[in-house]
Amino acid sequence: MTPLEYVWSGVLAVFQGPELFSVLGVSISVTLVMIFCGFLLGIAVGATPGLAGPIAMAISLPILISVFGFTPDALLPVMGFLIGIMKGATIGGAVPAILFNTPGTPDAYMTTLDGYPMTQKGQATKALRVAHFSSVSGDTFSDIVLIMCAPFLAILVESYLDLPEKTALLILSLSFIAAAVGGSPAKGLVSAGLGLLVAYVGTGQDFYPRLTMGMPAFGQGFPLAAAILGVLIVGAVFHELAQYWRERDAERLETKLVEDASQSLSLANIRGLMPYIARSAVIGTAIGALPGIGSTLAATLGYTVGKQRYDKRRKEDEPAFGEGAPQGVAATEAANSSVSGANLIPVLSLGIPGNTAAVFLILAAESIGGFNPGPSVFKFDAERVNPELVIAFGLFTAMILANIMNWTIGGLFMRSMGIMTRVPKQILLPIVLMLTLTAIYVQETDMAAVWFTLGFGLLGYGMRVLAISPLPFVIAFILGGKIEDSARQAFAATGGDPFFLVSSPVAATFMILAVVVVFASTGRRRLAG
Amino acid sequence: MREFLRIAAATVLTVAVTVSANAADWIPPGPIKMMIAFRAGGGADTQARLIAEDLQERHGWEIIPENVTGKGGLNMANQLKGAAADGTVIGIAVTETFGYNMAAAPGAGMTPADFAGLTTTAGFQMGIVAKTDRGWASFADMVAAAEGGEQVRFGVMSPRLADLAYLLGKANNVTFNIVEVQGGRAVMDGVNAGDLDVGFMAGIQAQGVETGELVNLASALSAPLDQTPEAPTMETLGVPFNSDGQFVFVAPAGLDTTARDAIAGAIAAVVSDPETKAGGLVQRAFGGATVFSGQELDAVLQSEYEKAGELLTAASE
Repeated sequence: MTPLEYVWSGVLAVFQGPELFSVLGVSISVTLVMIFCGFLLGIAVGATPGLAGPIAMAISLPILISVFGFTPDALLPVMGFLIGIMKGATIGGAVPAILFNTPGTPDAYMTTLDGYPMTQKGQATKALRVAHFSSVSGDTFSDIVLIMCAPFLAILVESYLDLPEKTALLILSLSFIAAAVGGSPAKGLVSAGLGLLVAYVGTGQDFYPRLTMGMPAFGQGFPLAAAILGVLIVGAVFHELAQYWRERDAERLETKLVEDASQSLSLANIRGLMPYIARSAVIGTAIGALPGIGSTLAATLGYTVGKQRYDKRRKEDEPAFGEGAPQGVAATEAANSSVSGANLIPVLSLGIPGNTAAVFLILAAESIGGFNPGPSVFKFDAERVNPELVIAFGLFTAMILANIMNWTIGGLFMRSMGIMTRVPKQILLPIVLMLTLTAIYVQETDMAAVWFTLGFGLLGYGMRVLAISPLPFVIAFILGGKIEDSARQAFAATGGDPFFLVSSPVAATFMILAVVVVFASTGRRRLAG
Repeated sequence: MREFLRIAAATVLTVAVTVSANAADWIPPGPIKMMIAFRAGGGADTQARLIAEDLQERHGWEIIPENVTGKGGLNMANQLKGAAADGTVIGIAVTETFGYNMAAAPGAGMTPADFAGLTTTAGFQMGIVAKTDRGWASFADMVAAAEGGEQVRFGVMSPRLADLAYLLGKANNVTFNIVEVQGGRAVMDGVNAGDLDVGFMAGIQAQGVETGELVNLASALSAPLDQTPEAPTMETLGVPFNSDGQFVFVAPAGLDTTARDAIAGAIAAVVSDPETKAGGLVQRAFGGATVFSGQELDAVLQSEYEKAGELLTAASE
């Protein structure tokens, strides 16, 4: 097949997949419906403080797998649903930030700075419109970059990197994530180290399960879903519950919505916002392409750059940044939304997840089977069909569709989601906990997995109390097996060279960078502190 | 071996057809858990799941497939060993699990005697395969390259195959860099991507060989490959061992004969019928069904287990 035929097959795989129902003789594929449902759910959870896209992805994944099964046919509907959630949540997060001064997702914090003042001035709807427009613009830009870059990066990696270099690249990414995410490089390294340790329990090539302390329950290693959902979701729920318990007497902030006349977003308004959106989209996309650096940093940078520009050009009668400037909302939302697409560049081209949403996409692929994100996906095989490549283009199609939904109906749904902020946490959190445990049981059909999940939940809670980010843990857990395999293979392939990680210039450069990144990040923090 | 398989298959078919009235009436006491020792999504996993579907359709048995992977099937065997021997738990692995892998891991505390063999479903067309672009038309070309000082990366997907690759090198006075990867697909991906020079492939290479992209340098079996009959066998290359093996269904030891015959007969009938989903797949991917079951199968597993010791000794010399 030619590359264009691959693209077309991917598009067809989404539209002509198994039919769910037909409208006036036009068959509607199950993937299409799943993207739409995920998208709606994404907006709703994004708009609910205490929930976020990854939580919804985590809970729905095991349930979806048990519905669709472990066949390659399940990949597009399940991953389409997750992509829908991811896209919906990016715009949903701004709703509570703007209306109630409570960010729905951490990266929406900067949105409160100008969004809430706009609400206080009676421009709530306009603020939401600005947020929607900027968010979707940033996201679309980021997706275009993803679709353009991922295949080329993958081909580059596959043709220039040998086994030792691939191992060194994995080590570099992990070191980068440990250094960049969370409180400090030391905490990041502790988190990543724990993740590797847990990944190595019960696995390995020997016929004897290692590190099990003689317990047969550990013999198969920890189920991927139990470790990831435990640390990320159950840990977060425990932490939120503890916080809620401490703050149970705090007064709730009530906002009365008063709307004045000019709520519409005119073409002139958009023209004024575009420079801010464009700059933030580029910043967010660039940051998103590096694994581990989250959308919060992108939002902060986008806001700062936007503020500098705005301060130079502001007219007397316009509000400053932080006092309700629509440009502030636009700069933040475009930046944090443009992270999500670019974040999939390292996922699809290298198999390295960069953030929590990507973690769940990889988890989906690993659980279902038949699609292994990494350089081998983008093999444009002319002689026979490479099904993974078709899936990859199917995923791109799903992203574009979700974007179209965002452009067309997203704004309307988003503006009706204000109600979600009123869902009380003491009801929400136990529901999330119960759904997570149920979902784990549904997938693993084994009570041991539930106990593991709760155990990892406690670990996740402890990490949060000590301000250690659980993300390096999870990413290290996912990459642990890959690093070990590729290191073993590289060692064997070089004929047992113990210095395989430093004997080629490229591998050596990666290894040096892996060390430098940690020290540079320590130094930077010391300077900043 | 081939002759033996043919006779075995014929016997089983006869047994399956004239299966006792008892076995035909057998009804499982509950849903049957089918433990699959392969990763979700691969050819082996698909085969098992299709068999489950076909059995469900034909006999109305409720079958719950579950992947229990790792340790060359020993994780699955370990769980199966402790399960109820009443026909409600069965497992699928390869014969290698009960032969070489159990022999190589005495610490796991399992022997084929802990299991009741049900039936094999299909064999593998295991070849030693390189990419045509690599420039080797035969096994001898590869050996010549290695003698000339080239490093040859030999991909394998199990410790037994690693031993065989090592012995192949030894018999031909060359050293291969033996790289163990996860599963046959990974070997093929590695060979295609140029990370590996050559590797064992258990039938997955058929399409590539047909289009001329890949080449079967040798048969890793006791018999020549169907697709490339001129490729030398292990024996011709000076190695008295081979990778003969089949997919095999087993149950915990102590399963009574009625249940054993009923399940084995039902599976054998499904895979031998090219009209079923599983039978169709077996035909396409593994070149047709290879079924032998009952005590004959037990004997095969036991003898593979005993023979494994010889290979282990030879490879550690």
